[in-house]
Amino acid sequence: MAATQNTTQKDDKAAAANPAEQQQATESKPAALEEDDEFEDFPVDDWEQEDTEAASGSGAAQHLWEESWDDDDTSDDFSAQLKEELKKVEASKKR
Amino acid sequence: MAFNTSFFNDLTDIFSKQDGYQLAQTLSPDIPTEELRKICRSQNAHSIKGALKRGLNALTVDFDQQEIHGWVEVYAAYWNATGVILAARESSNDSSKSSSLLWTKVYETWTELLNVVLRGYQNWGFEAWTIPCMYVVCKHLRIFAMQADEERNNNSSFDDAAAILQDDFDPETNKRQKLEDCARVLSRVFMVCQTDRAPLEESRKWGSYYIANLLLKTYFKLNSASLSKNILNSLRAGGRDMPDFSAFPKSQQVTFKYHEGVLAFLEENYVLAEQCLTEAWNLCHKDAMKNKELILGYLIPCHLIKSHTLPAEKLLEPFPELQRLFLPLCRCIKRGELHKFDLALQEGEDEFVKRRIYLTLERGRDIALRNLLRKVFVARGFEEAKEGEKPARRTRVPVAEFAAGISLGSQEKIDNDEVECLLANMIYKGHMKGYISRQHGIVVLSKSGAFPGTNV
Repeated sequence: MAATQNTTQKDDKAAAANPAEQQQATESKPAALEEDDEFEDFPVDDWEQEDTEAASGSGAAQHLWEESWDDDDTSDDFSAQLKEELKKVEASKKR
Repeated sequence: MAFNTSFFNDLTDIFSKQDGYQLAQTLSPDIPTEELRKICRSQNAHSIKGALKRGLNALTVDFDQQEIHGWVEVYAAYWNATGVILAARESSNDSSKSSSLLWTKVYETWTELLNVVLRGYQNWGFEAWTIPCMYVVCKHLRIFAMQADEERNNNSSFDDAAAILQDDFDPETNKRQKLEDCARVLSRVFMVCQTDRAPLEESRKWGSYYIANLLLKTYFKLNSASLSKNILNSLRAGGRDMPDFSAFPKSQQVTFKYHEGVLAFLEENYVLAEQCLTEAWNLCHKDAMKNKELILGYLIPCHLIKSHTLPAEKLLEPFPELQRLFLPLCRCIKRGELHKFDLALQEGEDEFVKRRIYLTLERGRDIALRNLLRKVFVARGFEEAKEGEKPARRTRVPVAEFAAGISLGSQEKIDNDEVECLLANMIYKGHMKGYISRQHGIVVLSKSGAFPGTNV
């Protein structure tokens, strides 16, 4: 009786120690990164329009984002493989 | 600086020019230790108020007695703080003495200074042009709060003492004790700015955005999106009586738009998020690299979800960190490589979760799938063109071909039922236009734009 109580207690302790350890591990990681993910104070309070990102990007804002698909990129391995696969499917149909 | 004749001469100059930022400089704790020592030693606790009173009374400035009384109190409180800061700085250099919570004391004396400054605006008639004094005091209150928390957390003996005293002890709250207190103080300052009823040109409302930004930063640190929302709501409600947003300094506009954008992002309001973050990006100072990186960190996932566009190489060029984070994912999305996309997402999981963009990026898988299906469609080529007509793409695609594509992309065998399910989802979400003819095992795609917005 006493022995079982003892083991459960041990288990409890082990269980209690574990989450604490885990917590510490998860805590220490973001803490280090947290330091630099805060928006910084600007060294000056205000600036001219020509010092803004929009002005310095030389009006090329529309080239900063591109389509998520790419028709030119048909020479990569993956596209070649895909063509092979499609041929196989078509061939099996005809048979 | 020291509280001597040249200091009072400077004050005369500042008050006649009404230069708020220069005045604020005289209340900054962010000065060399030597300077600090000079100020501290220039007076003692008995003489300080008398000296200030004489000095300020002698200024050739149009002051009323209340205002003079106010500034005497402010500079006396500042002088008081310099001594405590000096002690804290000196002991951080000498680790053997760091047995007591010196930065907590700094935080407390600095809070006293802030309260005096606040009273200056509420009771002693401080003018609105002096509001940068409030900025500098508030800004450093937050810094001291964080330093105090850090010092206490590093010093476990104080933690234990607190733990024993309280039954309902929550270590997390305790960790941020002073920062939370600071948030409460700052929200009071915010109200003092917001509720000023003086005419706009001399209103403390001009201080609203600076203080709001400090509060937002603080709430972000405390992980409280709901309190942040309160600030936005309050500013929105007061909108009619506020100066035009574009009239505020750009540093304040950019900082505010960034936080507003991130909050919208966390609520999955990507339309508003994109709008705010784009504004922040456009107005941001071109050399503020760290802030530009932070803005892009959320703007990139926004673009992916909203307009299905990816950052161009040129955009990411100056940001190696962002390249490392996003380029692998972008490449997989472009090529429709589902399996590699999953791997890349897994690879960056910790960091994506930390940046709170994981769930948004996960939705990029749909775009990768869309591109994969599109590739199948494009690879199948055209119908034989009739005389004098433009060649039309072959719009009747066997489910088996899509299945082959998806199996290749995801590196696992997927049965046709599951493929049909994925296709139905794509059609439902508007990534693909057409219908599935189960009878024939064929997908009939729209002849005009089978994959909307992608030129085919």
